[in-house]
Amino acid sequence: MGIHMHQMTGDTAFRTRGLTKVYGSGAAAVHALRGVDIDIPKGEMVVLLGPSGSGKSTLLNILGGLDDATDGTAQFFDHDLTAMRERELTLYRREHVGFVFQFYNLMPSLTAKENVELVTEIADDPMDAAEALARVGLKERINHFPAQLSGGEQQRVAIARAVAKQPTVMFCDEPTGALDSATGRSVLNVLQSVNQDLGTTVMIVTHAAATAAMADRVIHFADGGVREVIRNTTKLTADEIEW
Amino acid sequence: MFSALDKKLFRDLGRMKMQAIAIGLVIAVGVVVLVMMDGLFNSLSQTKTTYYDRYRLAEVYAPAVRAPKHLLENLANVPGVDSVIGRIRGGGLVNLPQEDVPITAAIVSLPDHGAVRLNDIYLAEGKQIERGREDQILLLRSFAKAHGLQPGDRISATINGAKRKLEIAGLAQSPEFLLSMAPGDLAPDDKRYAVIWMSETSLGAAFDLKGAFSEALFSLTRDAKLPEVLDRVDQILANYGGTGAYGLEDQTSNRFLTEEIKGLATQSKILPPIFLAIAAFLLNIVISRMIQSEREQIGLLKAFGYSSMEVSAHYFKFVLAIAIGGALVGCLIGVWVGRSYADLFQQYYKFPFLVFRVDPQAFIIGILVSVFTASAGALFVLRKVFALTPAVAMRPPAPADYSRAGGFMAAVKRIFDQPTRMVLRRIARHPGRAFGAALGVGAGMGLSAASIGLMMTFTNVVDQTFDYVDRSDMTVVFAALRSTDTLNELRSLEGVTHVEPFRAVPVILRNGLHSHKGAVTGLLANPQQYRAVDKDLNPITLREDGIIIAKPLAKKLAISPGQKLFIEVQDGERPTLQMPVVGVAETLSGAPAYLEIGALNRALKQPNQISGAYLQIDEKLQAPLYEALKAMPVIAGASLKSKSREAFETLMDQSAGSMRYVMSFIAAIITFGIVYNSARIAFAERSRDLASLRVIGFTKGETAFVLLGELAIMVIMAVPIGIAFGLGLNAAIVEGFSTDLYQIPNQIQPEAFGTAGIAVLVSSVFSGWMVKRNMDGLDLVSALKTRE
Ligand SMILES: Nc1ncnc2c1ncn2[C@@H]1O[C@H](COP(=O)(O)OP(=O)(O)OP(=O)(O)O)[C@@H](O)[C@H]1O
Ligand SMILES: [Mg+2]
Repeated sequence: MGIHMHQMTGDTAFRTRGLTKVYGSGAAAVHALRGVDIDIPKGEMVVLLGPSGSGKSTLLNILGGLDDATDGTAQFFDHDLTAMRERELTLYRREHVGFVFQFYNLMPSLTAKENVELVTEIADDPMDAAEALARVGLKERINHFPAQLSGGEQQRVAIARAVAKQPTVMFCDEPTGALDSATGRSVLNVLQSVNQDLGTTVMIVTHAAATAAMADRVIHFADGGVREVIRNTTKLTADEIEW
Repeated sequence: MFSALDKKLFRDLGRMKMQAIAIGLVIAVGVVVLVMMDGLFNSLSQTKTTYYDRYRLAEVYAPAVRAPKHLLENLANVPGVDSVIGRIRGGGLVNLPQEDVPITAAIVSLPDHGAVRLNDIYLAEGKQIERGREDQILLLRSFAKAHGLQPGDRISATINGAKRKLEIAGLAQSPEFLLSMAPGDLAPDDKRYAVIWMSETSLGAAFDLKGAFSEALFSLTRDAKLPEVLDRVDQILANYGGTGAYGLEDQTSNRFLTEEIKGLATQSKILPPIFLAIAAFLLNIVISRMIQSEREQIGLLKAFGYSSMEVSAHYFKFVLAIAIGGALVGCLIGVWVGRSYADLFQQYYKFPFLVFRVDPQAFIIGILVSVFTASAGALFVLRKVFALTPAVAMRPPAPADYSRAGGFMAAVKRIFDQPTRMVLRRIARHPGRAFGAALGVGAGMGLSAASIGLMMTFTNVVDQTFDYVDRSDMTVVFAALRSTDTLNELRSLEGVTHVEPFRAVPVILRNGLHSHKGAVTGLLANPQQYRAVDKDLNPITLREDGIIIAKPLAKKLAISPGQKLFIEVQDGERPTLQMPVVGVAETLSGAPAYLEIGALNRALKQPNQISGAYLQIDEKLQAPLYEALKAMPVIAGASLKSKSREAFETLMDQSAGSMRYVMSFIAAIITFGIVYNSARIAFAERSRDLASLRVIGFTKGETAFVLLGELAIMVIMAVPIGIAFGLGLNAAIVEGFSTDLYQIPNQIQPEAFGTAGIAVLVSSVFSGWMVKRNMDGLDLVSALKTRE
């Protein structure tokens, strides 16, 4: 593969300026993002809060290289994501990004372990698939197919899949939405340790406001824009937050 | 170890195995047609060549009345002649007790000793003729088999007017007599044509030709110029009753065989591309819909950082597994069917051996076409999916926007219930998809209709030949030209109700560089028994001032009404006539040319001469009539229409024409394959929606209706497409099935569409039932839990 992007200079993982996303056109146009300006330092744990339909997933998709912006810029260190071509975006996702989607998005014809391997096989320095699954408490279920797993278990497979590749940044779209408090806590624990041990920048979208307590930075989203950014001076561990 | 992606591949193939098999089958049969036709064509033409070479079949034939043997030296010196032999050849009759009428026989001499240098024979059973045994003969094996005759049996024959008892020493085959027709017959018939080989001494005595020959056979050098050789030979034999030398291409048996092989060649040029193209087209549609349903997974793989190349490779492997699998199976079946068919042909054409060979090119083309079209279908969709950002590709299929349908849907809403509305909305929403599926089913139906139409046309050809063209009960052929008085003789026979004369004159028809060796038939101006008909099957009145030729002849000679035709008569004084073409007759078999009989005789300066007659007879008096005919020495042959008809049907069933059965069968498989696939894909695309319907309280029946209703509409849409397709295909296929032996008119019957429609309906009902079974067994929870 051609271009590698190992060299990342600077301390800002993401910087967006006037980031705009419009779905559709004319009368049916939906302005999902209306000029978003944010700076996210590397290694931070960021939580995104906001009402449904405010554009959180859209922002994550663009920062993750899954979607293109209508206007504005988004930078990953010194690389301009909005200027990248398809091939570079693919490399960016492959080498740096771990995703946990709002919908679990597992391959139905692959077992839990194989779903993780699907990603570790093409990663540079992955951890063992079984180990990643063990981290999310699914050691016993590694050979089950998605249809044989509960919604929460599927979500944990998706998290193991994202963690296993040891990415530079992780995007988690409502990772705990389907989980009970104990499992939710353990999932957050995993994310926190990835953030702390590996220095991974983690962005979490959530409706559980309490999660904000464990973030370095909390971004409040409303109507396609940033309403408020709060920096936590002290943060709690996953075990300490209240549900 | 396999990568996770490869595991997905195997599991997906396993999950969709029924569908994969159905798709594989469609491509397989397309390849079957290609490989089979190629194998057949190659095998027949190679076997023919090898057979001709091995038995040294002569390239030029020069009949004469009586030529002294010393002429052979002159003939051998003709430039271009490699070797020459003289033999005695005459006509005779075989009288078999169980046969009503005597059977025409060709009687050919074999050298008393030494090798047969040209036109050698293959002794299949029994022994050679013993030296000095003048009553021993070799008999054509196919004739002997048809009548249950064996070496050692004795038969009675009339040779040169004398009755003789002959003993069969052995049964022989020869490339010279593969397919032979008795005079007055339309198709070769083993039963009705005998070949007898006798020693030269014995035959020389019988025909009073000691020290002479009546036919010279030639092989030519590589650089020989056929027309020049024929000219020189004709000059040398002119004073010895030479009736015109001709090349192998005009030799009866070879002409038939060549026509048959040519028919196969045309078929193998026209049919495989049609079948393969349709199979490929269906494959393309099916594959693209299948990949379409993988859209989200493609998006997900992209999201993980798989490159477009890697994702494409994954789906190409999937498509290739099906396409190559199908094509390989097709190759195997094609070879097998081709072989079985070749065996059948071997019997029909009486080859003593068969060289079966498929050009490797056929395999390669078959596999490449399959792979290429399947990949093109995949690529088409992959490109479309890659054009989306992964975020869009992965998004659960956006709830379709049904708002656009507007006023139409408002009307629909008033009339139909909820499930019906769902069916209509979905089709209105994805018209392209529905149209694609209808196009596929329509193509299948068109192919079926064309194949069924072809079968029906064959039957029609036979019916029309015998109901409109030849309406007689019997044709009698005289041993030599007779005066019209003979008609009265025939008329006076008890049981004969109607008699009509004909005169057949061997000719070469020439128009510039185009020529045809055949015959001109003289008939009454408005005959009742044997008629020339136009394309609407109305009788054509024959004219005195011009010739009417059959359509294939007009094509071969590149001539149209109004233009002048040279007629080189190959009989008697051998005059050359010049006459305008005044009409073109539709013909179902052969390439006849007609002229009013009086005018023909006048032109030849031989008034009142006839070569035979068509009879209408009283069935009740049939038996005594045969006896009476048998006793008439002037009659060289008599053929019953019912027997000719049988022989004609056999010709079309056992020769190249029989391919129509295979084609219909294959068309049926393709039709079913596409209908079934369409149903499966619709089910796959909808399984989640259908599960949701069940969950919110729809019954199994209502849910099934939503899916099957969509299928039904697709099938209805397919009907007009099928008809249009069928009409076009029939024209092309018919072209491939017509040979000089019989012309298959392009007249597809409405019934063909009816039958094809029923085939599609049955396929749909069956596919619907299979899908319904799957639907009833649908595990609601897992269908909803994971997206496929
Ligand atoms: N493909 C699309 N076409 C049109 N509009 C879209 C599309 N995807 C998202 N939108 C719209 O864009 C806006 C932002 O959507 P987004 O998914 O980013 O919201 P969200 O903040 O993630 O909401 P939620 O919390 O419900 O997940 C919404 O109004 C949504 O309807
Ligand atoms: Mg969202």
